Amino acid sequence: MSFINGIIYDSVYHAVPILLCVLGGIFAYKANVLNIALEGMMLAGAFFSVLVSYQTGSIALGYLAAIGACLVIGLVFAFFGVTCKGNVIIIGLAVNMSVTAVAGFVLQLMNSANIKLDFANAADFKIHIPFIESIPILGSILSGHTLITYISFVSIVLIWILMYRTKFGIYVRVVGENEDSAKSLGLNTNKYRYLAVLLGGLFCALAGTNLALERMTIFTNGMTAGRGFIAIAAIYCGRGDPLSSSMYAVIFGLARALAVNLSLYAGAAAAVFDVIPYIVMTVVLTAVSMIKYRNHKARGVA
Amino acid sequence: MKNSKTGYLGPQILNTLLPVGLAFFIGGIIILCIGEDPIEAYGIMLGKSLFTAKGLLNTLHYASPLLLTGLAIAITFKANIFNMGVEGQLLLGGFFAGIAGASLDVSSPILAKILCMLVGMACGVAFALVPAILRAYFHVDEMVVTLMLNYAMIKVLEYLSSGPFREAGSGYVCTPIIKEGAMFERLGINNSRLTMFFFIAFAVLAVMAFVFRNTRLGMEITAIGKNPEFAEATGMRVRRKIIILMCISGALAGLAGAGHMMSEKFKYTLAFSGTTGLGWDGMLIALLGRHNPIGILLAAIFFSALKTGADNINMYTSVPKEIVGVLQGLIILFLAVQFLDERFGLRERARKLKSRKEA
Repeated sequence: MSFINGIIYDSVYHAVPILLCVLGGIFAYKANVLNIALEGMMLAGAFFSVLVSYQTGSIALGYLAAIGACLVIGLVFAFFGVTCKGNVIIIGLAVNMSVTAVAGFVLQLMNSANIKLDFANAADFKIHIPFIESIPILGSILSGHTLITYISFVSIVLIWILMYRTKFGIYVRVVGENEDSAKSLGLNTNKYRYLAVLLGGLFCALAGTNLALERMTIFTNGMTAGRGFIAIAAIYCGRGDPLSSSMYAVIFGLARALAVNLSLYAGAAAAVFDVIPYIVMTVVLTAVSMIKYRNHKARGVA
Repeated sequence: MKNSKTGYLGPQILNTLLPVGLAFFIGGIIILCIGEDPIEAYGIMLGKSLFTAKGLLNTLHYASPLLLTGLAIAITFKANIFNMGVEGQLLLGGFFAGIAGASLDVSSPILAKILCMLVGMACGVAFALVPAILRAYFHVDEMVVTLMLNYAMIKVLEYLSSGPFREAGSGYVCTPIIKEGAMFERLGINNSRLTMFFFIAFAVLAVMAFVFRNTRLGMEITAIGKNPEFAEATGMRVRRKIIILMCISGALAGLAGAGHMMSEKFKYTLAFSGTTGLGWDGMLIALLGRHNPIGILLAAIFFSALKTGADNINMYTSVPKEIVGVLQGLIILFLAVQFLDERFGLRERARKLKSRKEA
């Protein structure tokens, strides 16, 4: 029983950063500005949340700093990609590289390989809900997680409403699907693109904060380990729909949780289990692409 | 090649130099912020590695793998394919070239070297084939796949080098040192590190330049990059071309890894490809070189000078050598935007903008 509980708890735990990135990335995807910079923004969120907490001794400032930093990166990304009409893929990769380099630069200045908070530890961030905690299975889904974990799952619904039930969501989708008709409606297309990218920045900041500050109170460079790219794969699989893209993020969480829990029994080969999530995501992406293409053919739109 | 036809060369050069200048300017502000003199820091970084004979030869030595990774990325960009797996292909090629170099018992040093390079290239091709086939037959976005598989590859190699292939006597994670026959010896010009590998990389660059300029394959790839539907309609086999192109790209990346192993590292460690990674450096080089062979050569030498210069920056100042990574990111960021229109120039562009506003 504790094994299954462990897997369920870990699935939630590992799904959160990806889930947040997915939620942040879908608006940009729908607005036709593919945001490869999710990875870099998440790393920036992780870095600034821990750095500022470390320097000021205040966790709340850490949360705010992460959000501020990611919004600034989002602005830079949007300025180059939308206003200057640069190649967004190259800009995204440049952002990813720059964030890693800046973090490395600062770590080198501080003369250490990581930043570790000494006044807080990860257990402080866990919210235990009395009563529910003791229910089997349900308890490990609902209780003992961090604040951002709860925010992330509530956000699935919020983002769904924002995308399908508000003017903003409809406009963003129109801008992405047909820029000319958006313009003919008198929409300021650039404004919606900026907002879509900035929304991504906000969610990536939460993802990074969750990853570094809330879970471990440590920052090490490169700790995002491709989660931003996995999120993009999840967005592709779900074609930008909040519910199905989120579902793929949770599948990733499950794959990762299985890998972590099974590797305990694998002994020396444990390291190989780290590969599973990436492979699973590649296979899922392939399967979805095949089905999508077949449907296209059947409708004769190729 | 636009510049060989007419006078687009001027704006093209400006379009390349401006981002570099801007990146150095912002980098300079960062250096000022930590209380160092940017001009002195840049002087140290570029002075020794470009303007002394030994330094320049060392720069060429470190530029050799960069030439190949730059080329590997440039040829796929040309066809509008994004092979972001160059880093993983390079690591895999380097790793198994190293294993082959350490375990193969070949008496002839030339044969040993050729075998190691072939192993590296084969590994690069094998790893590039996965996204290539997925892209060509199943319409899977190759960029996302290669970006994810890079991480998987790093994990696999971490396991292989710390488990099955670990050098038993060593205090840290590494594979056995390759045999002397498989090493590229230093040529000993001016006491520099330059080896034959630079000339091999240069020859490959020349061959690829010829292939892309003068053969049918080269023309077809350019056509696919410009308009895949049209290319398909005129009877080009686009799928097969995509696979061929990814294989060439993978082979170049694998060769870069093998060469780096045989001329510089001699064993696989977890820091085989350096801090930014030779594959990622290739991206800067492809963009900075504007996908043009001479441009790639110059860009590789420039960036290699910057990197080797940064290695001894700590001896003279307190600027962390990670400043190179910052500059690299900034240069790529600015390169993504066309500052000056290559065909019409700035004035034409401003006029167009104005007329659009009026309309």
